[in-house]
Amino acid sequence: MSQEEIIQARNKSLTHLKHIFGDDSETVIAGERYGFIGGLLKDTLKKPRVEKVTTSDKIDKVLVNRWAGIPIFLGIMYGMFQFVFAASVPLMDLIDTGFGYLAEQASVIGGWAGSLLSDGIISGVGSVLIFVPPIFLLFVAISVLEDCGYLARAAFVMDRAMHKIGLHGRSFIPLMLGFGCTIPAVMACRTIENPRDRLTTMLVSPFISCGARLPIFVLLAGVFFTAHAGLVVFAMYMIGIGAAIFSAWLFRKTLFRGESGHFVMELPPYRLPTPTGVAVHMWERGRLFLRRAGTVIFGVVVLVWVLASMPWGVEYASTGSWLGHLGSFFAPVFIPCGFGEWQAAASLVFGFLAKEVVVGSMGAIFAVEEGALGSALMAQLGWTPLIAFAFMVFSLLYVPCVATIGTIRSETNSRKWPWFSIAYSTGVAWIAATLIYQIGRVAIGG
Amino acid sequence: MMVKPLSDMKPGERGKISQVGSSGQIHRRLLDMGVIPKTTVEVERIAPMGDPIWIKLKGYHLSLRKEEAANVYVEVA
Repeated sequence: MSQEEIIQARNKSLTHLKHIFGDDSETVIAGERYGFIGGLLKDTLKKPRVEKVTTSDKIDKVLVNRWAGIPIFLGIMYGMFQFVFAASVPLMDLIDTGFGYLAEQASVIGGWAGSLLSDGIISGVGSVLIFVPPIFLLFVAISVLEDCGYLARAAFVMDRAMHKIGLHGRSFIPLMLGFGCTIPAVMACRTIENPRDRLTTMLVSPFISCGARLPIFVLLAGVFFTAHAGLVVFAMYMIGIGAAIFSAWLFRKTLFRGESGHFVMELPPYRLPTPTGVAVHMWERGRLFLRRAGTVIFGVVVLVWVLASMPWGVEYASTGSWLGHLGSFFAPVFIPCGFGEWQAAASLVFGFLAKEVVVGSMGAIFAVEEGALGSALMAQLGWTPLIAFAFMVFSLLYVPCVATIGTIRSETNSRKWPWFSIAYSTGVAWIAATLIYQIGRVAIGG
Repeated sequence: MMVKPLSDMKPGERGKISQVGSSGQIHRRLLDMGVIPKTTVEVERIAPMGDPIWIKLKGYHLSLRKEEAANVYVEVA
């Protein structure tokens, strides 16, 4: 029998069965299945005559209320970030102090080995490990929300808005994770069934500002926008979200046209999360970040140190070093954005390896501690607040780090999408930074 | 007795599904989730932004968008 004949025979049977049952076969099968289940339940289960209102129903009456639903949702999100930041600050201070002490001890060795150990390895690994508390705590908070059943409600509350911009209610969870680290965000896209929804979410998630970008903003905003630093950092998050929304809309209009996935989803009853469950979820997600800190970032730190120290005898991280050459090569590209200096370009190149390295490698280039970096940028490069702002926007939007690209590669199982992500995000970043700098320059009259 | 689309029902309204007229993936998904003729459904609430809707059937809760509920017809008493 040929393929056509098989399909013909199938269609004939389908019509035949439809005549007998008066309904399509899928409905008949589902009906029979549920009929059987219903029969079994009738024989075995005693139900109370009046359905009682469960605690879960009562909670939902408040949490997903027509009017209070959105304020409560925003309140929960705000509370979550408050918790994460408040709880992680003391831990971060502890790690900072610990690594500072270690680096000091190591520098006693002296010579190139001491420099590699203290300037390179210890400072570098420390600058990454400092993100472990906020990232893990964010994952704890999200795991609690997920395990108790609220995330399904959050998807219910947010679906209309997400659907409007071309995403799905379920895109919301990966994008939330993106505030911690983009890698688990990309991985969480697995829960989105529809391939168009999944790819759109995956490709816009790098625009959600991850924990690694925060130190860039905190440092530069603190120096260049002293009194309004908080506002500027907040603006960065908003610009990232805006870029994600715009891109989702754009992709939906061009690359991924067509129907989006359905929202036929069960809303499970609320359950008390178990510590083990939360711990397992936290670890599954956080482990990805740790592995990266242990491998990619460690390698990068050593690489930066080598590039900054070579060729032999050159002054550490000067124009003559390999790092200087690399920076000088890319620097002209950034002239329209306002930061065409080799130091800026070099740190951005390393930022591709891991974004938190942008600040660290600048620190290494100017051979100053992070606290003194801002004044070095002002004094040695003549940066203005406008340039700093354009630089922050570029750091926010350009190429997700190499580990994220690797994750996109494995999650899409294609070479096309990681390259697309690199090209698209860098393009958006360059255009945004250029627009800000050029328009700002005209507006300010500089 | 009046038949109307599930998407037009108001919170608190209940009835018996008479026909699941959707097609393709949605159709199968709805059937899998127990949205089948002769099942009693109740619309419990509508999301703050007016979509999706939240229904109760077979003792559990299900959410679906209005566009997905538009082809599900319900006999309302």
